[in-house]
Amino acid sequence: MANQTPIGAAPAAELTGAQKIQQLRELFADATELGKTALENVIKELSSQVSEPPPPIESAGRVGARLGKRSELTIIVPLVPGGAKRLRTFLQLLGGNLSPGATKVGTLHDMRFVFLDNDTKMLFATSFDGDWDTYIDDFVALIPDYLDLMDSAWEGWPGIRDPGAKDYLIKHQITAEGWFVAEPDLTLAEIQRLKRIGKATDEFLDKVQ
Amino acid sequence: MQTQTQLEHDRRVEEKIQKVKELYADAPELGKVALEKGLPDLKREMAAATGKESAGRVGARQGQVSELTSILTFAEGGAKRLRGLLQLLEGNFKGADAVGTLHDMRFVFLDNDTKLLFATAYDGDWDAYIDDFVTKIPNALDLLFCNIEGWPGIHDPNVKDWLVKNQITAEAWYVASPNMTVAKAWRLERIGKALDEFLDKISE
Repeated sequence: MANQTPIGAAPAAELTGAQKIQQLRELFADATELGKTALENVIKELSSQVSEPPPPIESAGRVGARLGKRSELTIIVPLVPGGAKRLRTFLQLLGGNLSPGATKVGTLHDMRFVFLDNDTKMLFATSFDGDWDTYIDDFVALIPDYLDLMDSAWEGWPGIRDPGAKDYLIKHQITAEGWFVAEPDLTLAEIQRLKRIGKATDEFLDKVQ
Repeated sequence: MQTQTQLEHDRRVEEKIQKVKELYADAPELGKVALEKGLPDLKREMAAATGKESAGRVGARQGQVSELTSILTFAEGGAKRLRGLLQLLEGNFKGADAVGTLHDMRFVFLDNDTKLLFATAYDGDWDAYIDDFVTKIPNALDLLFCNIEGWPGIHDPNVKDWLVKNQITAEAWYVASPNMTVAKAWRLERIGKALDEFLDKISE
């Protein structure tokens, strides 16, 4: 479950568009008919896509992928016996609403809790701004008790204030091999700023009309 | 009347708090301590609970933003092909912008490349979202998912049933800007840029 192949490996960046298309054809040589047809159908689009310099996917720091200013965190953890029941009932009692705690972390875009494999595991996946270490530090500083309430269902979790907490997270985090964000430069801070500008612009236009 | 409703509301919150305490009676010490410390916040949270909504046939939604979470089994050779494809694209999915309702999307390889986690955040209703994929980037989808066991093909009439069967609804789903659709975000970005240019011009 540990960190895997780095994404956007250097070799791909050095290939020309034509070379990439060639590699794609080779890669899909043993795909299903449907897959091969799909490849030929999109190859035109792909050739324009892969030959333009793409915004590079980078690392979010110690672990995870980042596109522009937006990063991903994906963790799958084993649950202790009885942990899933506690966590599920707790989340249900909250009505699935995590806003009051989560909004304190000003870099957190979205967050999901998903139970897997007959309640033996949990997927925790978030989208956030910037660097992994800063993000985790925010959680620790701003909502430590919420975190421990959730994570006490995780097998082997040392506690958020334990010096081993980050190592535990890194051990269970799996870096995404593909990561897309529609607005890679839109941090939450920027969204707040743009909302104010949007409102002010509307008022301004109303006034001058 | 108002007061009575308020009392009723407070009582329900108290009941919930009681339930959580019972629930965590057998939790590890760390969890119990966290509960005690978090109680004031928790009360506020429960009082404010609006309830997670559904994204339609499957999936959770908060405000206008929904989640899709799937864990799929790779077909023979599928993991190698998909990884190669993603690396060659260097994570660049311009096609995804064409969908216009997709906020973010991740591909995560699990269990020694036998499974794929596919998770997205998108705007609105599940059916409309899948329809957008089907009409706007059908080939890209077949290219990605032909690597998955049992993928019927994007034009197959059973494709939605297949997707529903493989999707797992999140137990909890949080969105920081629940009313910020992709369309709205792009509009605000344009306004922000126009305003900067405007201010530059008038200060010349």
